[in-house]
Formats: sequence, structure tokens, C-alpha cells
Amino acid sequence: MSILYVLIPLALLLLGGAVWAFFWAVGSGQFDDLDTPAVRIIMDDDKKPDDGDAA
Amino acid sequence: MTKGAETCFHCALPIPTDCNLNVDIEGEQRPVCCPGCKAVAELIRDSGMSLYYSLRDAPDPGVGRPPAETAEWQVFDSEDMLAAFADQSRDHAETTIYVGGMYCAACSWLIETTLGKLQGVESVDVSPVTHRLRVRWRLADARFSSILAALAQLGYQPQPLAPENATRPELIEQRVALKRLLVASLGMMQVMMFAVGLYAGEFQGIDPDMQHFLRLVSFVVTTPVVFYAARPFFAAAWRGLIARKPGMDLPVSIAVGSAYAASVYATFTNGEAVWFDSVTMFVFFLTLGRFLEMRARHRSIDRSAALSAKLPNTATRIEAEGVAVVPVSQLIAGDLVKIRAGDAIPADGVIESGNTSVDEALLTGEARPQPKSRGDLIAAGSVNLDGLVEMRVTRTGGDTTLGTISRLSERARYTRPAFVTIADRVASYIVIALLGVATIVAAYWYFMAPERAFVITLSVLVVTCPCALALATPAAFAAAGSRLSQLRLLVTNGNAIEALSRGTTVMFDKTGTLTRGMPEITSVIVFDSSMTEHDCRLIAAALETASAHPLAKAFAMSASLPKVSRQHVEVGQGVSGTIDGRNWRIGSAQFVGGGASGEGNSVNMTATSVFLAVDGHLVAWFDVEDELRPDVAATLSDINRLGLRTALLSGDNRNAVEELATRLGIEEFYFECTPQRKLEIIEAAQGNGERVVMVGDGINDAPVLAGADTSIAPAHGALLAQTSADVIMLGDSLLPVTTAIRMSGKTMRIVRQNLAWAIVYNTLALPLAAAGLVPPWLAAIGMSASSLIVVLNALRLSRFN
Repeated sequence: MSILYVLIPLALLLLGGAVWAFFWAVGSGQFDDLDTPAVRIIMDDDKKPDDGDAA
Repeated sequence: MTKGAETCFHCALPIPTDCNLNVDIEGEQRPVCCPGCKAVAELIRDSGMSLYYSLRDAPDPGVGRPPAETAEWQVFDSEDMLAAFADQSRDHAETTIYVGGMYCAACSWLIETTLGKLQGVESVDVSPVTHRLRVRWRLADARFSSILAALAQLGYQPQPLAPENATRPELIEQRVALKRLLVASLGMMQVMMFAVGLYAGEFQGIDPDMQHFLRLVSFVVTTPVVFYAARPFFAAAWRGLIARKPGMDLPVSIAVGSAYAASVYATFTNGEAVWFDSVTMFVFFLTLGRFLEMRARHRSIDRSAALSAKLPNTATRIEAEGVAVVPVSQLIAGDLVKIRAGDAIPADGVIESGNTSVDEALLTGEARPQPKSRGDLIAAGSVNLDGLVEMRVTRTGGDTTLGTISRLSERARYTRPAFVTIADRVASYIVIALLGVATIVAAYWYFMAPERAFVITLSVLVVTCPCALALATPAAFAAAGSRLSQLRLLVTNGNAIEALSRGTTVMFDKTGTLTRGMPEITSVIVFDSSMTEHDCRLIAAALETASAHPLAKAFAMSASLPKVSRQHVEVGQGVSGTIDGRNWRIGSAQFVGGGASGEGNSVNMTATSVFLAVDGHLVAWFDVEDELRPDVAATLSDINRLGLRTALLSGDNRNAVEELATRLGIEEFYFECTPQRKLEIIEAAQGNGERVVMVGDGINDAPVLAGADTSIAPAHGALLAQTSADVIMLGDSLLPVTTAIRMSGKTMRIVRQNLAWAIVYNTLALPLAAAGLVPPWLAAIGMSASSLIVVLNALRLSRFN
């Protein structure tokens, strides 16, 4: 069980890293828009003007 | 359906009858209303982005009439402008642009894709929530003006923001809330994991060193949760204490603070038990609740910024060494600015030289041009229509009339509903009572079983936290508000939903509400062969300048008009006046005389015939039509089905009102009403115990909206009216009126359910906890579950149709 004395501090380090990464991401504005990314997947960027005749 | 009911495929504005433009989108001919919309639609199609049309939530009124010249933006390429608006590094620049007219995810996609294709643009971030766009480009390959022009070409109204205006407070609030939520949730997960070890240790034995170690790491993880994630609760509790109005944050803080302190004490003294798991879970659920509430609050559309988009970006300032184009934000009182015809007025000021007429529709809703000359005040946001003027700036930015009005409407939006305030006050009594009960419980158990006293008191504090009670109403209102804004209704007054749900009578204004309020001359027949149609229109326009009749708007022309003397208005009949020594009359058939008759000739039911005569001879016959809004009939029958009475109030003459009322099946109608009379009718109805919902655009009669129990105004109306309206409808259809009424009923039902549930829960949980039957972790689950049930119940409103 003494491996826990290593693993748990390691987990805490990872946790700290995750929190730091998230704070950085929030700070750089990556979470400012929580609505568009959900629908972005259905939008084709490369659609040519003449290839679609669907309604 | 009238022929005018056809609307533009791009911007959904009605298509003028003399316009015949089409755009081929995905193989179908779509009608558009103007060359501007045609250009925009073709641009969108040619960039392969026709998908925009199927993804957008609704066409945006206002989008689609792009500013004509690209040249306007070129002032932004100068060094000074770049320095004022953009952050520059060696070869890159980055700036924030407010994008007026952007409402949905489809818009943000369109903008990102279009700008992303511009050469030299490195990154584009669009936030539809705050209407802001962050763009970074290489100075060598792209120019600021080309980015702005590209946005303008899409039909949006770009407005570069100086760094100090670039970040919305909402955005900062959201970022901080996200960070707190993440700390609380990750902290909770970790502490739960350690807690599993500790609880298992209770049952099957645990090495004391390992127990101490697990408690220690729990302490390490819980500390930031308490001091960072839960800080707003402590701060609010402290503010409540200072203001002597303890809110629900106080027992929350006491519970979190004391449980944390006791756990820390137990950790370092090898005490009986720790409650780090309960603490983190409690904080997490509270933070989650707050976060959801905040998101709902932010969703309502950012109207104040939308207003500032009505101001121009730049002004031409007259300085000692000549003229300079400067950003509007750099204007100060005392500056002399030059305003060309067609430009929006950048600040409030006094005309120093020049004559012009201005369109003040944004402020007053009055669409007719107002003549202005030296010494006259002109207000920011109005549009200079014809002359070149020099203006001495008196007030800028937020101090202008426009700024004041937008602040007023903003403030109205943040007033809390009366009974939420009552609920808050009640909650503060409940909190005091709870603290009393907790003290009694603590004292009792201290004498009966001192070792259990702390745990039981903690459970009482946690389980009875009146969160559910406090959330019951605001959660439902926030959900209703955000759903309504998706359905294109803006709730500007917190009391509106409750008042709407109690409405018994819906009164409609006629012009501008049931009809579009933009009368147009649909046909002209000239009887006098010595005159052209244009001559007749000029004379009619000159005569009608005196009239405040809604139909007079149809005649307004921006050309220079012949001079009229002895102008006289016969209310509800017409106008007479002398031009070049001849006596002209314009108005109804009996008013002008000369054998005019509109009997049986009018093609269209909604058209009104207006006659022009000179010295008793009939000269011309105009058909003026104010088209009905779409869905009027459906809206009225829906309202009747809901069991509400309908009535029509109008300043129009009897014939027009009666005809419309009969056609729409409205039994109660009032004609030739002055604003004063409308107010009296509403007050009389209120005297009979009716609760009146007034639907009107408030042009010339904003007090009428304020006098009704609730008022709904279409968004195109006067700004001033919007400050007195409780609900604003975006878009053209009248159907949102019924949506708002049905939604308000449903919201109040949910509020009642929530309150009932919260009260039942608290009355059941308190005795159980006081009896010592609820351990702290169960208390935390119980309180969180009760709050979540309330929030989830409220969120059912967001699926309302």
C-alpha cells in the first residue's frame, strides 16, 4: 500500500497541471463562446457553391 | 395575402412593390428587397456558405442594408487609428470589433469563415453572446479597413472597440465562474476518491498513518475549493451581514466554514472524523447552480451595445490646422465637428452653421424629417439627411440622450421582479430563524450527547439551507427569459412575466402594431394632364409635412419641396394650404370635394384613398396602403382561445378602425383616440378589475404603454417606447404576443411547483436532521438534490414552444 504515498502526490501534481491548463485556456478566451462549437460540427467549410441542390 | 406580404429572403423585410430582384440560391429563385441584400446574398452563395440560410435561427431585421462605400473604413488604416484600436506587435495587429446584427451561431460561423479566407488574417474568434469578434492579422498582408469592409459587406455593422471597451463585464464574470466551477468539480472528484478510502477504512480498519495521509491530502485539495471556489458565498454573506440583511449565503458560509475548520482541526489532532467530502460536494452543487443561473442571465441580448452601434465610428473634427477624422470615442465637449448629409450624428451638440433636416426615428420613433438650423440641438444617433452642418459637441458617449435612454432601458432590465425581492426578504427571516433553530439544536445536543452536537448542528445547517426556496423563482424566471429571447421576445422588466400571466384583456394599437406602420403609396392616378406624377407627389409631400397622421409618412420625400403658406390641418380629414397662390387640399374625399369618390375603386381592402385637389378640382388620387403584419388573424384567434378579451385602440378615423376590427373579428374598438383617451380607456378597464396587456409601438404614446399592467412593443418602435415596454418583440410577426402570454402562465405554474416543493422539503428535512438522523454527507446530498430538482424543473421551460 505504500505505493499510494507516491501515486497520490503524483495525482495531485497532475490535478494541479490540469487546473493550470484549464485556467490558461479560459484566460485565452477558448471558453468564451459556449454555444457555437456545439453546432459547428454540422457546418461544412469546404462546400462549393455549385455542388448543393438539397433544400 | 397582399402582394406586399412577400419578404426578403435575406433580411426578411418587406419587399417594395416596385422591386423585382432575385437571387439564385441552391437552384431556387429567392426574392430580395434591395440591391444591398442581393449583393450580400450572392456573396454568401459565392463563398459556398448558403448553409447559413438553413442554420440561422431567424433572419435578422436590420442586417442586409450594407453601408455603400468601402472608403469609409479606410480611415482606420492610419497609424493613429491602429494605435487607438489595436494591439500591435512588430508585424501583427489584434483588435476587438463589436459586430452589430449578429445573433446566432450561424452568424458567427459565417463571419469566421469569411474573415478566415481573407489574406493575412491569422485568427478569428467570434462570440455571439457578447457580439464581439477578436481578430489578429499580419500588418504586411491585410489591412484593418479590408476586415471591416468584409464585415460590412456581409451586412453586419462592425464597430471597432477601443481596448477599454473591448471586454464585456459578462465575459469576465463567465470566465471567473468557469474557473471556480472547475476547481470545485475537480476538487470534489478528488476528495470523493480519498473519502472512499477513508469510509472503507472505517469498516475494515486502516493504518493510522494512511488515514492521516488521506486526510492530509483531502485537506490540501479542499483548501482551494473553500477559499477560491466558495469565495463568492463568503463575500456575499459578509455583505449581507454588514447590510443587516442576511441572505441564504450566511448559513451556507457558516456550514462550509465550520465544517472545514472542524475537519482541519480533526486532521491535525487525529480527531474522530473529517467532512471534507461534504464540504466539497456542497460547494460544487452551489457553484453549479449559480453558474447555470448566470448563463441564463447572460443570454438575453446585449442591447446597450447594440445601441452604441447606431453611432458612427468616426467623426470629422475641425481643428486649428484643418480637419481630421477621429474615432468618436476621442470626441470631447467643445469640439467642432463637420457632419455630411447622410451621416449619423456622433454626439449631442448644437448646430453652429448650416441648415438641414434630421431623422430622429431612433430616439422618438418619429419618421418624418425634423428641420434643424443654427442654434438647434441635435442628438447623437439621429441621421443628418440633407445639409452639411458644423456642430459644437455638448455631450458625448454615455452622457448623450441616446446613452441615457439606453441606460434607462438597461436598468429596467435589471430590476428584480417584486416578488423575487419579497422572496429574498422572506428568505432573510427564514435564515435568521434557521440560525436560531441550529443554535437550539446545538445547545440541546451539547447537553444530551456532546460528541454528536457538532455533526448534528452541521447537518441541520446544511440540510435546511433555503437554496431551493431561494432558487425557486429566479431559476424559473431566468429559464423563461432565456427561452423567450430564443423565441425573439426580450423581457425588459422583471415583473412582466407575472403581470402577463394575470392579463385578462389584450389591447392593440393599430398603426405600427397590427399594421406595419410604414404606409406606402401603392398607386397614383393623375387626373390633370398638365401635371406629372412627380409634381403631384411633391405638392402632396409639402402639404403633408404639417400632418401628424400616420398615413402622412407615406408622402415624405427628401427632395426640396415647394413652399406652402397658410397650412391648416383638419384632424382626421386632411390638410389645406396655399402654394404659388393656388389653394390645395389633400385628404379624404369629402374634405377635398371636387367630385372625388373612393367608392368601390379601391383594389385592396387595407388601402386608404387620399385625394389631392386644387381650387376645387380633383388633381390626383393616391392609394396609400399600410400593410397588415403577418399572422395577425392567427394571433387574435389564439388570444381568444386563451380566454382573453381583445380590443383595438386607434387614433385613426371610424371607418378605418371599424373596417379593420370587423375584418379581424375584434368586437371592442375605439377610434380617434388621443394618447390621453387611450390611457383613460385602459384605466377604465383596470377600474373594472381587468388587467390590461397593451400591445403597441408607443410612437407618440409611450405613456399608454406605461399605464397598462404589462406592455409589449415591437422592436422597430421608438427607443423611448422600449423603455416603457415590459416585453419587446423582435421580428415582424405578431405571434410572439401569444407565446409570451402562454409562456408566462407556464412560468408561474412552475414557480408555484418549485415553491411548494422547497417548502415541503425543508419542513420534512429539518426535524429529521435535528433528531440526528441525517449525517452531514446525506444532508449535503439532500440539499443539493432539492436545489437541482428546482433548477431542472425550471429548465423544462427552455423546451417550451
